[in-house]
Parts: sequence; C-alpha cells; structure tokens
Amino acid sequence: MNGFFWSSGHLGWGIFALVVFTCLWLLLADLVWRLRSIRIHRLIVGMSIGWIIGVGFVLFGFYLGSG
Amino acid sequence: MIILVLQIVVLCVCAAAVAQWAFYFPHPFPLVRRWLPPRKRWPERQIRDWLADGRFHPIFLRYFNRDPERVPPPGEAMLSPADGLVTSMDLHGGVRYLVIALSFWDMHVQRSPLSGRVVKVESYGTDFMDGEGRGFAFLREKSCPVQKRLVIASEAGDIAVRLITSLAARRIETWVKEGEAIDRGQRLGRILLGSTVVLEMPPAANVLVRVGERVWAGETAVAKIGERS
Repeated sequence: MNGFFWSSGHLGWGIFALVVFTCLWLLLADLVWRLRSIRIHRLIVGMSIGWIIGVGFVLFGFYLGSG
Repeated sequence: MIILVLQIVVLCVCAAAVAQWAFYFPHPFPLVRRWLPPRKRWPERQIRDWLADGRFHPIFLRYFNRDPERVPPPGEAMLSPADGLVTSMDLHGGVRYLVIALSFWDMHVQRSPLSGRVVKVESYGTDFMDGEGRGFAFLREKSCPVQKRLVIASEAGDIAVRLITSLAARRIETWVKEGEAIDRGQRLGRILLGSTVVLEMPPAANVLVRVGERVWAGETAVAKIGERS
C-alpha cells in the first residue's frame, strides 16, 4: 500500500481521491438533505451505502492502476 | 513537486469547505446559501412531516429546545427579544414593529428587551381562529396566527413583545406573569416550533439594526429610545 499514501514525490492518488471524494460526498449529503423530502435515517443509510460504494470504486481503481 | 502542490491546494479547498460546513451547520454554509431558495435552506418538509405525525427526531428536539445563557451588553439599548433575521421594521398606527423571523435552527427562547414590569400578557387566536391584527403584514402571511403579546412598562415607555406561531405549531409558553418585575435580557417565554417575534416600540425609537440583519436574543442591541440618528 506504499503507493496508496505516497508515490514519486507526491501524495498517493489513492488517499488523495479518497479524501476528496469523502469531502464532496459529505457536502452533497448536506445538499440532498436540504433539497429533498427524505427521512434522516434513510438519508444516512443511503449516503453511507453510496460512500462505501464510492470508496470501493476508489480502491478498485487504485488496484487496477497499480497492477 | 507541481503535482504535490496541486494536491495540497485541492485538499486545502476541500478542508476549507468542510470546515465552513461544520461551522455553520445546521444553517447552510455560505458557499451554497446563495443558490438555495429561502424555503430550501432547511429540510422544511421533513419538519412538517414530524409536525404532522407528532414524532420528532430526538436529536432535533434536543437541539431545538436548547436554552443557552446570554449576557446582555452594558448600556440602556433595547435588546433583541429573539434569535433570527430582521424582516421588517414598519411604522403602523404610531408604533414601530420590528419583526424577527425565526428558522427551525434558531434558539426559540425569547428574552426581555428592557427591564421593567409586565403590564399585560394577552392571548390572541387561542381557539385556533384567526387572531387580531390581520392588518399587519407579518400576520397576513400566517395561515392561522396564534399569539401571545407581553406588554412591558419600562422607564423608556411601554413596549410589547409578540410571540407568534401558526396553527401547525400553536404552542407558546410564557414564563412571566402580569405585575412581575423583569430584568433586561430575562427569559420571557418560548415558542414551540413557532416562527415570528415582533417587538413593538415607540415611534421615536432609534433602530440600530437593518432588515436582513441577524440578531440574538438578549445580546443584540436593536434600538435606543430618546436618541435619533
């Protein structure tokens, strides 16, 4: 996982993508919460599942890229 | 090296956005507020659903029922009776009406603008019929206003604080009684899921706030009596 955190003099694209995606996902969740009529529990569950899927894509992409 | 710098810049922007979000939460943070219409700045339909079925989220209720201590600033200026946004300050029939709109995220305990004595505690619309005062713009937009009006005799003259809610919420608690002496900034009562507080002042009052300004109960000086700007 060395390339995940640090690679050739810059942050690893894996951790970089993970942090950026998490920040944007949090802000998106806030907007969805304000704009949609949705139960808070459903929103939390839905956004958590979305986040896990997104993290899965990031990890999978990193695996493919480093493979 | 360039990639590292770019990465750090992007991460700093993300961190700033999240920090701003956390600082302003539950209010919308400034980056998105300008694009959100007023009715979309909080999950209003979610809260209306809670009102309809009477099952409020406990975390929201705990947050909503907060009652922090406030320290009135020194001086004789009239303090804001409520947290919220100033929406108008019209002169009507020889009385200056300072209207403060509360959002779901504002603290809902009201405080006395001045020290004095409570002269009257009046109720309007308690039978869920239209209350008095349909001539006022701040009541016309309410589907069925329910009000408590507290008249306070102070050294600067009589002032009044109206606590207004609508049929949907309809509960107002007052914590002071007629004849009771009250201090500047003292708690007057609370609107349960209500929306508007109006401060009635003499027309000679010099208003210190502007429409659209944010005020805090018991802390923001909103007017001075006897000094014209």
